[in-house]
Amino acid sequence: MTSGNATGSTSGFRHLETRLTVNLDRASRTANVALILALGASFVLGLYVSFYFHFLTVVLLLTNAVNFYWRHLQVRHTLLANYGFLAQVRYLLESVGPEFRQYLFANDSEERPFSRNERAEVYRKAKGIDSSGAFGTQRDLATGFATLRHSFFPAEASQASSFQVSFGDQRDCPHPYTAGHPVFISAMSYGSLGQKAVRALARGARKAGIPMNTGEGGHPKHHLAEGADLIFQMGTAKFGVRTEDGQLDDERLEALSAHDQVKMVEIKLSQGAKPGKGGLLPKEKISEEIAELRGVPRDRDVVSPAFHPECVDPASTVAFIRRVQEVSGLPVGIKFCLGRDSELRELVQEMRSQDVFPDWITVDGAEGGTGAAPRSFMDGVGLPLFQALPTVQKILTEEGATDRTRILASGKLIDARRQLVAMAMGASATYTARGFMLALGCIQALQCNQNTCPVGITTHDPALQRGLDIEEKSERVARYARALCREQGELLAAMGVRSRPELDLSTVHLPTLNGAGS
Amino acid sequence: MKTLGLWALRILAAAILLPVGYQKLIGDEMSVMLFDTLGMEPHGRIIIGVVEIIAALLLLSPLAATGALLVVAVMLGAIIAHVTVLGVEVGGDGGRLLAMLATVFVSGTTVLVALRHQLPIIGHTLDRTGDERLP
Ligand SMILES: Cc1cc2nc3c(=O)[nH]c(=O)nc-3n(C[C@H](O)[C@H](O)[C@H](O)COP(=O)(O)O)c2cc1C
Ligand code: SF4
Repeated sequence: MTSGNATGSTSGFRHLETRLTVNLDRASRTANVALILALGASFVLGLYVSFYFHFLTVVLLLTNAVNFYWRHLQVRHTLLANYGFLAQVRYLLESVGPEFRQYLFANDSEERPFSRNERAEVYRKAKGIDSSGAFGTQRDLATGFATLRHSFFPAEASQASSFQVSFGDQRDCPHPYTAGHPVFISAMSYGSLGQKAVRALARGARKAGIPMNTGEGGHPKHHLAEGADLIFQMGTAKFGVRTEDGQLDDERLEALSAHDQVKMVEIKLSQGAKPGKGGLLPKEKISEEIAELRGVPRDRDVVSPAFHPECVDPASTVAFIRRVQEVSGLPVGIKFCLGRDSELRELVQEMRSQDVFPDWITVDGAEGGTGAAPRSFMDGVGLPLFQALPTVQKILTEEGATDRTRILASGKLIDARRQLVAMAMGASATYTARGFMLALGCIQALQCNQNTCPVGITTHDPALQRGLDIEEKSERVARYARALCREQGELLAAMGVRSRPELDLSTVHLPTLNGAGS
Repeated sequence: MKTLGLWALRILAAAILLPVGYQKLIGDEMSVMLFDTLGMEPHGRIIIGVVEIIAALLLLSPLAATGALLVVAVMLGAIIAHVTVLGVEVGGDGGRLLAMLATVFVSGTTVLVALRHQLPIIGHTLDRTGDERLP
């Protein structure tokens, strides 16, 4: 397909999928009841009109039995649990051969933001299924696709392992933190996610031994309940640690930091999907509890300011970082999407002169995800990750800051290849948000902002969350994280990389001139 | 062991079903009587006879799961017939027919449950492992 009609068919598919799921929502409730009524009707007809109707009775009896199993007994398939037999229609559409699908929908490598192939890979990792393929890549490697450079002399698989990473050890932080694996769950607030999704992620993080960022959702009540290591995110509205007029409340931050599980604090300056715009939580998604945890009213969209009132220039920003470090006693990082190089340089120079550095810098690519953002911002503002990372690394090196802070990266880092490319560009560890949503069973229906997520992830509707089994999905989250680490290990071995410093730009191939690539 | 047990049940059910289906096809006296009572003479008798034979053969083939589904379906129909029309004792057989029916129903159900993941189309949604599809 040419790129012209590729876009057309992608949105065509999205339409179809959206239509399908929206209809599913209403139709399935009716259909499940109708199935039972039909059984009754057929039985009566068989009794009084003709025994031949019992052919139908038997078929309906079996269908009802299977439907009951799907809806109430099994926990693997959220869609089937939520919708019953009508969801099977979707499986049928998914399973028709690629030849046929091509005429109806976008093909395996075309859907956006994540292609069917990319999604299927996450699903396989999450379900613990072998992911060998055959015959060769389906990627067009010649155009803009970053690959890893292997070595003539690979390392033993056992020698290479994914790297652990520490925070706060570069200064005399009272409570430094070491993460065992360089794979973290990126910020997604309770609010954009439903309660069950938060629980499943947090439980999965604990099982896999990886830290989870709370997102800017206020007091992390549900995260704390599941026992995972937490990175508390302080958004621009400072939900959970705010005073009435939206400033930082030192006492509340101190109390929160005293929780054993809260390991680090991340100050969010901006986010790749909507740099320069504050967080947005549509009012459809504000429940009683969310309003309470955030300290906001329920009757209107919650719009966070575009910046922290304390941070108006480099000097005040660095001073604020110091304040949060001192109050919390924890490693403190900042998160942003890169805009102007010169501004970052000024900020780092200011850090130098005040001798205060954040313990890490999270670089979020413009391709990053969001629960809700204006399309113009998702599409039109900010630097993509693989353009931004080398710049950030260069500025930190030139300003002599590399031994004072670390880089974390996020932006579609849902597979080991992209994660290692990011690490070769200077990241010490990687964050992903949507990778873990896919592991939870996200089907990319793209209605996260409408409270109608058909698989119960980004919704607070109890009927839609019903199908999301926390224990089952937490296993998938953990399996996905472990599979990523294992795959990193395998790739590192092939690259002959044995230690962290060996992984640098010489070990990756970036096809386009300005360090781009996907 | 499990496979062996399943094979025993498959053979048992097929061994009962094949002669029963054959009797229906040749219009054996008892069968005609039953289907007369149900008001399905002769078409219902022939259809059921054919389905029983196909089900029995499938049970012994690699498509055993599908066969078991057919067996269970036919037996459910038969149970409905006994409950709503025929009663426990048929033609003074002391419930022999019903006992046979129950045997086939139970073995069929056991095979169906054990092999459910081999069913076409929906099999993968009924199994806990080996699911390659989207969630
Ligand atoms: C549903 C959802 C909610 C998010 N909420 C936040 C948030 O509260 N704070 C934040 O800094 N980033 C938030 N993000 C952005 C992610 O943390 C991450 O930076 C971005 O999605 C890039 O990672 P990915 O491409 O692996 O998803 C959210 C993303 C998604 C998909
Ligand atoms: S989280 Fe839900 S609504 Fe959002 S893209 Fe995934 S399936 Fe759709």
